[in-house]
Amino acid sequence: MTRRESALRAARRGAVVTGLALLGLAGIYLRALMFTPVERFQGPAQKIFYVHAPMAWAALLAFLVTGVLSLLYLIMRDRKLDLIASSSAEVGVAFSLVMLTTGPLWGKPVWGTWWSWDARLTSTLFIFLLFVGYLVLRGALHDPEVRARFSAVMGVMALVLVPFIHVTVYWFRTLHPEPVLMKPERPGLPGVMLVTLLSSVAVCTVLYIGFLLLRYALTVLQELKEEEIVDGVS
Amino acid sequence: MASGLGPLLAIAGKDLLVERRTKTAFFSSLVFALLVLTILYFARDKTAVGDLDLAPGALWVTFTFAGMLGLNRAFALEMGNRAIDGVRLTPAGATEIFLGKVLGSLIFVGTVELTAVPVFVLFYDVPIWRQLPLLLLVIGLATVGFVSVGTLFSAMVVRTRFSEVMLPVLLLPFLFPPIVAAVQLTRGILANRPLSEVSGWLSLLAAFVIVFSTFSLFLFEAILEE
Amino acid sequence: MEYPDNGAYMVAAYVVTAVIVTGYAASLFYRLRKYVQG
Repeated sequence: MTRRESALRAARRGAVVTGLALLGLAGIYLRALMFTPVERFQGPAQKIFYVHAPMAWAALLAFLVTGVLSLLYLIMRDRKLDLIASSSAEVGVAFSLVMLTTGPLWGKPVWGTWWSWDARLTSTLFIFLLFVGYLVLRGALHDPEVRARFSAVMGVMALVLVPFIHVTVYWFRTLHPEPVLMKPERPGLPGVMLVTLLSSVAVCTVLYIGFLLLRYALTVLQELKEEEIVDGVS
Repeated sequence: MASGLGPLLAIAGKDLLVERRTKTAFFSSLVFALLVLTILYFARDKTAVGDLDLAPGALWVTFTFAGMLGLNRAFALEMGNRAIDGVRLTPAGATEIFLGKVLGSLIFVGTVELTAVPVFVLFYDVPIWRQLPLLLLVIGLATVGFVSVGTLFSAMVVRTRFSEVMLPVLLLPFLFPPIVAAVQLTRGILANRPLSEVSGWLSLLAAFVIVFSTFSLFLFEAILEE
Repeated sequence: MEYPDNGAYMVAAYVVTAVIVTGYAASLFYRLRKYVQG
């Protein structure tokens, strides 16, 4: 099977998986909005959690994939690893954007402030910034081998950084507790809500895989096109 | 590949020699640091934000910006006439080149910092004499941390078009842990808090420096490949 | 209705999410179309 054929196959699979995931997401919307009870103290805005948290999880998953594959690339130098890593980064940006927009929309009604600077939220903000830096670096390097190598270095460094970000914010918050204007009651999630949340996590994971397949196919096809052009010229 | 102190010091020495002859980067960084300290001093409500509240943050923001100016020059020096190829041809290995560059930058940035500190004491009227050794340790550690990562990233961005912008974009997220730790430590030191209160931040800073200097050193090899 | 009246935030968040997700999916399909037809 040629590279082009395998890329097209990935694209077809990606389309199917993404399609299913989008249907799943519609199902989650239905379930969350219509069939999951409203939380008494936080109100309807609490339901944002069913979207915000799973999307943040998907962004984290994308980040881990980029980081780990970057490390593997530096060890094994298989170009495919670099192509998947960079595809994962772009997909991760999309999920991070959802997280960064829904976060404040959830925070304001439920916690009383748009942005709470807690460890999880701040870490995911940094994941977004690191993704953007990674993609900007790639955009500025034109030699494919150099680009793969340098962005892999960036990916590994970013992976090592995130735990430090988390600890830094955690310690800062522990030593300087912010006054919380509203403290919503936090009983453990009852069964119905838990099912909604977990289903949403599953759907977002599948969505990540679908997007990754599509983006990866696109990356390979773009590269093949570039090679064609270069071959045509030389 | 020859290894050891010789090539390392040669690389550091060469960078510093170039700097001594032109002096532009050094004086620019210094003036920049002083201006930042001045602007921050005036950019607040003096009745609401006391000198001791503002001082640690102001100091570290200043060091960060001045440090980045200094880092940019580390590899910018090599870009002219593809001098980096000349460095590669020497018997120095990647480790020596990295450490040499880091040493050169440390001396450069360290000098800017140590020159800025008395001015800082002057402008913000902070009592530093009692805790000077500890403060110098914190400044030293944080500087080693950000110079190590900064040297790795400078090497990566030097061949890109907008390297002066790319370096901060890539580097600043990595400065978050060491700078936050350094600010908290500086605040505690200037306020004469007992060491036990700030020891957590000191461990974080030390851990960051150890982990990231090591990673930067090992990954530099991958950057230098041809 | 004993709960707070913040449904507007919920709607906004769900709408924004849908826009970003379908927007990104659409951008992927659109960018791929050029290559698939070749």
